[in-house]
Amino acid sequence: MAERVLIFGLDCAPPDLVFDRWRGDLKNLGRLMEQGIYGELESTIPPITVPAWTSMMTGKSPGTLGFYGFRNRADYSYDAMVFANSQYVREDTVWDILSRKRKRSVVIGMPQTYPPKPLNGCLITSFLTPNTTCQYTYPPELKGEVEGLVGEYMLDVENFRTDEKDRLLRQIYEMTERRFKVAKHLMAAKPWDFFIVVEIGLDRIHHGFWKFFDKDHRKYQPGSKYEGVMRDYYLYLDHQVGEMLSMAGSDTAIMVVSDHGAKRMEGGICINEWLMDKGYLTLEERPREVVPLSTVKIDWDRTTAWGEGGYYCRLFLNVKGREPRGTIERSRYGEVRDRLKRELEGLTDENGNHIGTRVFKPEEIYPVVKGIAPDLIVYFGDLRWRSVGSVGIGSVHTFENDTGPDDANHSQHGIFIMKAPGMKARGKSSGLHIMDVAPTVLKLLGLQVPEDMEGKAIEG
Amino acid sequence: MERGFTVWFTGLSCSGKTTVSRQVAEELRKRGLKVEILDGDVVRTNLSKGLGFSKEDRDINIKRIGFVCKLLSRNGVVAIGAAISPYREVRDYNRREIGDFVEVYCKCPLEVCIERDVKGLYKKALAGEIPNYTGVSDPYEEPLDPEVVLETDKEEERESVAKVVRKLEELRYVQPAEAVSYSEEEEETIKQRLTDLGYL
Repeated sequence: MAERVLIFGLDCAPPDLVFDRWRGDLKNLGRLMEQGIYGELESTIPPITVPAWTSMMTGKSPGTLGFYGFRNRADYSYDAMVFANSQYVREDTVWDILSRKRKRSVVIGMPQTYPPKPLNGCLITSFLTPNTTCQYTYPPELKGEVEGLVGEYMLDVENFRTDEKDRLLRQIYEMTERRFKVAKHLMAAKPWDFFIVVEIGLDRIHHGFWKFFDKDHRKYQPGSKYEGVMRDYYLYLDHQVGEMLSMAGSDTAIMVVSDHGAKRMEGGICINEWLMDKGYLTLEERPREVVPLSTVKIDWDRTTAWGEGGYYCRLFLNVKGREPRGTIERSRYGEVRDRLKRELEGLTDENGNHIGTRVFKPEEIYPVVKGIAPDLIVYFGDLRWRSVGSVGIGSVHTFENDTGPDDANHSQHGIFIMKAPGMKARGKSSGLHIMDVAPTVLKLLGLQVPEDMEGKAIEG
Repeated sequence: MERGFTVWFTGLSCSGKTTVSRQVAEELRKRGLKVEILDGDVVRTNLSKGLGFSKEDRDINIKRIGFVCKLLSRNGVVAIGAAISPYREVRDYNRREIGDFVEVYCKCPLEVCIERDVKGLYKKALAGEIPNYTGVSDPYEEPLDPEVVLETDKEEERESVAKVVRKLEELRYVQPAEAVSYSEEEEETIKQRLTDLGYL
């Protein structure tokens, strides 16, 4: 048992960089790994910020949570999408449970916490907040305290898909420095039993600088001045973690976690171009330039399916009696969906090489499916290829991202490191799942794990 | 089913338990919760009729109220207990039994309570006409670590009510009154931001 639990959330940290490639350089993370256990943390399907972090903090799958990405269908119309903000989180988070047990939490940068809900402790929302003129803290008066300390608090960088790399890099450091300054202040100034700080900078640096360090990346440029940028930032984060570790007592359990990993991006699969080629999607008029699907007129009466872009693809079927102008008879839903699945799994790269696309049916991967899930969840090339939703590209494969330069995609496994008082286990652990984190926190603090949590406490 | 819990008001007679608890109940009902108040004075006319004011009888009375609060709480009702409940041990017993238990201490100096003397009982107790009267001839053991302390001699009634409700929100028993959500303008701002970031 521990008196307190301190978690570092490193958005997007992949196992190979932390556990292998830079382990020797990351003194503090390396020491935690030596003194405790570590292993790959299997993320949610899909392995995306939303829903992954909330799955981690509730111990529940996306199906139970009822959201499957940043934006989700509000109903079966074609354009009603809602942001999965804190209002959509209806399952208890770790800090909800701890609050009822009178334990105090400090939560910084956790996605899906805006608008902030009350808790026993304090909370600073995440990059999914309109801007800092909003009420982004609980209690409200904490905002003044934060801004008194660091001036403008940076929820995120302005734009990570940019060619202005120097500016992006400067912003990432400024943001991280301010966040950790606030974290250290709250760590010392507030009473807490549970403390979590999530740093989004790592995700941003992966997306912005991956191609400069990964020699296997299609766009790798040898000798770039940015070649060492990612490693330097990892070291900087390790230093920040070290400073906070020195403030934590020996009675504190420490975890380092990520919501998913990262891998180089090979390119993009233009899902809607593919659907059009196959006759599954019909536009009233083909656009002459690259535009989002939402801006063109779709001939719904001649459309079977459409897809959304992102690190993975959400595919929606146009079903009679469900969508306003559905075309697929309900009795044929299964057959059509299976055919699409098979064809997507057979996708190749531009040279005809099989890319190993994985396709999931929601009801087969979640214990329940709440809200409106996509009909199919697609990992192009097992996440080495991004899903491009735009139309007008004129080919299925693209190597220019429709939403700006992006070098990395998400991968299924993030990281987990744990060191706890009295813990005897050491070394590498396997079979760890993102939903195991919440029960582990409760168990470390000597509390009962609710029966409806889908994860299990990780034994130390 | 909504999550039930117990809010337990303790404090000297005339310290404000009944007044504040009624208003808290009203506020929670406005938020769609089922609420039942078990007021010490009322309970003594039925559930605990015949019990006196010895320590033993007082403990039985408080345990009975606690028992009913427990039944209500586990069936999704917000149970509000409002009783002097002068002994720490039995209050803590109820806390253990009920689990989801929020203790509200109505802290008010004895002299202020005597001044208020709504029912004229302090006067009688001070004249020696009522034995075992809490604060006069019987002890009151302050809670050591209540969830909420109300200083009813210093605070406005509405401040006290707000303090209790805010604590219930922080302890995640109660949702905030105004559903916090994106305004249309905020929704547009965040959509634009996520578009700029390339997520959409």
